[in-house]
Amino acid sequence: MTHGRGGALLAVLVAGLLAACSSSSGASSSSSVSGSTSSQPIVIGISLSQTGDFSDPGKAAMRGYQLWADTVNANGGILGRQVQLKIADDASDPGQAVTNYETFITKDHVDLVFGPFSTLLSVPSAQIANRYGYSFVEPAGGGPDMFAAKLPNVFFVQPAPVLACGDPFVNWILSLPADQRPKTAAYVSLDDPFASPIADAMQAKFEAAGIQTVAKTIYPPETTNFTPIVSPVAAKSPDMWVGGTQSDDAYAQVRSMISLNFNPKFLYLSNGASSPVEFPSKVGANNVNGIFSCGDWFPNSNASGNQDFINAYTTRYGGDAFGIDSTSAEAYAVGQLIQSVAAKTGSIDNQTITNTLHSGTWPTVEGNLSWDQYGMPQGSDMLVEWIDQKLTPVYPADVALHAPVYPKPNWGG
Amino acid sequence: MRLFVQAVILGLLAGGVYALMASGLTLAFGIMRVINVAQGVMIILGAYLSYTLFTHFSVDPFLSVLFVVPVVFALGVMIELVFIRPLRPSDREELSLLVTWAVALGIEGVLGLVYSTTYRSTIPSYANRAWRIGGFAVLQVQVYAFALSIVILAGLGLMLAKTRFGRAVRGTVQNPASAALLGVDERKVAAIGFGLSVATAAAAGAVYGVVTPFNPGSHYDLISLLLTIIVLGGMGSLPGTVVAAMLMGVSQALLATYISPTSAKLTFFILLIVILVVRPQGLFGAVERGKL
Repeated sequence: MTHGRGGALLAVLVAGLLAACSSSSGASSSSSVSGSTSSQPIVIGISLSQTGDFSDPGKAAMRGYQLWADTVNANGGILGRQVQLKIADDASDPGQAVTNYETFITKDHVDLVFGPFSTLLSVPSAQIANRYGYSFVEPAGGGPDMFAAKLPNVFFVQPAPVLACGDPFVNWILSLPADQRPKTAAYVSLDDPFASPIADAMQAKFEAAGIQTVAKTIYPPETTNFTPIVSPVAAKSPDMWVGGTQSDDAYAQVRSMISLNFNPKFLYLSNGASSPVEFPSKVGANNVNGIFSCGDWFPNSNASGNQDFINAYTTRYGGDAFGIDSTSAEAYAVGQLIQSVAAKTGSIDNQTITNTLHSGTWPTVEGNLSWDQYGMPQGSDMLVEWIDQKLTPVYPADVALHAPVYPKPNWGG
Repeated sequence: MRLFVQAVILGLLAGGVYALMASGLTLAFGIMRVINVAQGVMIILGAYLSYTLFTHFSVDPFLSVLFVVPVVFALGVMIELVFIRPLRPSDREELSLLVTWAVALGIEGVLGLVYSTTYRSTIPSYANRAWRIGGFAVLQVQVYAFALSIVILAGLGLMLAKTRFGRAVRGTVQNPASAALLGVDERKVAAIGFGLSVATAAAAGAVYGVVTPFNPGSHYDLISLLLTIIVLGGMGSLPGTVVAAMLMGVSQALLATYISPTSAKLTFFILLIVILVVRPQGLFGAVERGKL
């Protein structure tokens, strides 16, 4: 018996050694392939939420990435190499996203990784990428936690950090003549690292400008019944309602306001209301007018490659430009940046990408982007408003297609 | 005072639907000592069936109950025959937790495959309408949902009190051995009882989908809510479940109004722990077996 156990242990040791030898030889051969053979495709690992809470934006990101890869490949690839995306589902779970990136890097030996959807998943994933020396260009992780991690390999591919998402609305409100500004405000936010910091930042600025806070509520993510939450806030009759929202909670807030027949003069929802297709389908197309949100991409923008992106998108997925989710544009812009770095340096080496993106301004469908040392973008978002049932940029003036409409029309108007 | 009344109205309306959701759970426990943790997923299944009928065939979600209830009743009978009946009576209470949890995960997986995990809502034309009564907003869908819940619960109560099957159920709950000696077929009572218990969940699900967005994973939050209600009401007690559900609805609304939505849940669980310490059998639970 003792002899048998010893034999088994020996067998395990031998097997382990063999495995170690084979994996190290596998790793060296794999790295030599990616380093020298130009005919090999460039493999890019991406963890995306195809299921779970982020499945809608996750799929939108996937459409953007795939559209970029197909467009690049149709034009001869990058540095003569075709692009191949390796996408794995993370079920909207940060732990699974980390596992996916570990697998991409240590087992699949991908050439590059691109970011997943949301700050929640991007922060731990970026740390994995940083540990292995991979650049982490990402479309949707722009919450404060992302930049607080102080990772040198991160580049958030939107014009402004999430915390600044409410700035255009604040700036516009404070630009109004004093007698037209709201006197009172309510802040109703989801307890989430993306959503509530936006409302908190806006509240600080509005209070400093003398707009009185009459209500502030933070609700947990599992909230399903919103009427008891909206009702006491509506009873305070605030002139302005600021929702630090994600998606379904934004729809639910609006539906509860409609039910309670409460119509604030100004209604701002940080996210959810910026979804061109989902939002009207969930709250009713005749209830969207006059609602403000924040936008980083817009169909009418003259940003670099935007028209090509829209044409390719509508040809492949149908619909019109106003039906494109901005997350698709953000993902597409991630690919554009890699193309630009390759064109400038003749390399897609991770260290080269990181070093190169840290200097200069980079044109994408999201506009001209530049970052600080931890990947925080240096530009600003725009204010969008639903006008005639279309999401329209209204502020600042240089990107506006229409003047802001206020006060908000009645529900159904 | 106005806020208080508004919160109580909203809480009672939500509590009515909670009562319908939880009634089946307490029924299954009363009859069979089965803790059916698949009750939450049955609600979600009902919500999806109703959603499908509404989006593809324009069937009103409240009318869809007429279709959803028999379908899920049949599924419930099948689950009882295949998964619960083989359990030894002595182990049933513990093992039913595992078996019904497996059923819940299986159904969640199938729903995920068929409908994906995107949140859905059944939104009929009257979804956002409210009546203004004395200055208070009363949401139409919640009133319809409440009314439907009361009708079904009253039907369930009448059936238990007045029919031959109801007497067989009550007999089985009070003393299974004596009921069997008097000719009650316990196996039949169990199968039909379990079918009925999940059918009430599905009926509640049809209206749940109108009131709130859902996806296949929504049952996790629901089952914790429902277990809390039946523990609070006294496991196996139908009137206790109704009162506890109302208490749950009203306390949630009041706490959200006066404290905060985030601390509402915590406060409620503290209350639950206090009740369990002071009165472990719940508000209406009998110390011994014998009441439904």
